[in-house]
Amino acid sequence: MKRMTYSELDGKSRGFYALLAGLGAIIAIALGAAYYMEHHGHYVTGMNNQVVWGMPHVFAIFLIVAASGALNIASIGTVFKRKIYQPLGRLSGIFAIALLIGGLTVLVLDLGRPDRLIIAMTTYNFKSIFAWNIILYNGFIAVVAVYLWFMMERQMKKYYLYAGTLAFIWRLILTTGTGSIFGFLVARHAYDAAILAPMFIIMSFAFGLAAFILLLIPAYQWSNRALGDGVLLRLKSLLSLFIAAVFFFTVIYHLTNLYITQHHDYEHFILISGGVYTLLFWLGHIILGLLVPFALLYLPLGQTRQGMLITSGLVVLGGFAQLYVIIIGGQAFPIEVFPNKEIIATGFFDGAVGQYSPSLPEFLLGLGGVAVALVMTVLAARVLPFMPDSLADQYIDPHAK
Amino acid sequence: MTRYAMVIDLNTCVGCNACMAACAVENQTPVWDNKWRTYVHDKEIGTAEDIHRRFFPRLCNHCANPACMSVCPTGATYQRADGIVLVDEDLCMGCRACAVACPYDARMEVTYSDVRQGKEFYGEDYRRRRPSMDKCSFCAHRVDQGLKPACVETCVGSARIFGDLNDPNDEVAKLVASGTARPLMAHLGTQPNVYYIDDLKRKG
Repeated sequence: MKRMTYSELDGKSRGFYALLAGLGAIIAIALGAAYYMEHHGHYVTGMNNQVVWGMPHVFAIFLIVAASGALNIASIGTVFKRKIYQPLGRLSGIFAIALLIGGLTVLVLDLGRPDRLIIAMTTYNFKSIFAWNIILYNGFIAVVAVYLWFMMERQMKKYYLYAGTLAFIWRLILTTGTGSIFGFLVARHAYDAAILAPMFIIMSFAFGLAAFILLLIPAYQWSNRALGDGVLLRLKSLLSLFIAAVFFFTVIYHLTNLYITQHHDYEHFILISGGVYTLLFWLGHIILGLLVPFALLYLPLGQTRQGMLITSGLVVLGGFAQLYVIIIGGQAFPIEVFPNKEIIATGFFDGAVGQYSPSLPEFLLGLGGVAVALVMTVLAARVLPFMPDSLADQYIDPHAK
Repeated sequence: MTRYAMVIDLNTCVGCNACMAACAVENQTPVWDNKWRTYVHDKEIGTAEDIHRRFFPRLCNHCANPACMSVCPTGATYQRADGIVLVDEDLCMGCRACAVACPYDARMEVTYSDVRQGKEFYGEDYRRRRPSMDKCSFCAHRVDQGLKPACVETCVGSARIFGDLNDPNDEVAKLVASGTARPLMAHLGTQPNVYYIDDLKRKG
């Protein structure tokens, strides 16, 4: 096994600048969309008083959850001492930070008053999980930055295990915090199950790894660096395990709800009668997001790079579908304002499913978050040696645990 | 210690919506966006020919254990010692977590656009300086002057009764203590302080 060396991206090709220009254009459009929505208010979006968190939240939460999952690659190498993952640690760490910042950018620009963000940083209600999340998100960036520093600086390498362990624990708490947003709201049938917190951790494993694979393969191909099958096949096996875990938690979440009588209406809504939410649940989340990629990974196509890109892309799309069902579907399902009463006529949408159709500006803002994450990763890899020069099989030990 | 509460008698509400109008003018709410701090439902009860129509006024329930206050990250939603739950528009950053958490659908968002339009609609008397999440305040500014909330003051059928739950001689306290007036969705544990006298036994 040869010694691993790292280097910055060359960054002189036309393709590199074209990539940056393309991503920059998406960010510029997203900023324009954010300005448009802020200037006119939420009525120009699909959001309303029933569905107050829309498409930007789906993007933001996906990116935040994927961020903690992307760090897993580094954690497996550091905390669990799996050598084959260690060369990927740097890229995993910087990608995690970039994804989180991308997600937070969308979240902040979707606030009703983004100018008051400083309040969120200085005034805390510690009973609110949102307040804790502000600390957890900012802390994550700081902890992972220190982790990367210790990983890359030879003199600090002796503290690298401690920093890696702290980052791993922090990311688990962070995803617990994000999942807890939807775990303790008694007003909503969809959001009062504590299982959502560990479920978000499992989701982060799958989303983060899929996003990482979608980054890794093109990054190595476009920078003309070798990427051996040893690393990829290990990531493939890990992804199949995470897909199975998400499926397991999804089944348990819905079985638990089906056991609780007062949640039957909600389950009927999501599983059978919810229209677009039912379609997204079965077709988007379960079939295209879990069953198809899981099967693909064990077919010959899944062993190829194209197959892995398709599989990871499906996991990401399935993740969006899952979050759409949880976030939008959970709000669209009507609040039970008059228990045990049948509402026959109402002027205020009581008992009616909340209407929501994502508007173009919301979608563009969300895409902007993805572009922010990618631009940050590309620029970071341009200025600092985050990527191993080669991940060819002879540089890594394919038999290492 | 005073504990403000409201009792709404569904037998005497006539659905005139005067409370909505009084509240909107008193609190300068963005009615052009159909955003109200209090609103009155039309409700039809019964089956087949045995059906009658009733009205159901709604507002913030000023819960003793408010879910909206728990989730508010900045502490913009707070509770006074007399139980009134208020929103500090300077601290609110518009994350809308309160709107998701409130089981009574009592929250609405006042946007930049609403503030601009409010200045045109309500003129130089417009008090709001900036956008925030919004809800009923039990007209705290009036209550502090010894007045009743605008909706109570204006109610045609005297369906709304406002008072001190901790004063055993207060009408509100008596109606609640006797079980005549009951809260909405008490099982959620929010301990709401708006109580309703049910009308189901009456024919209309």
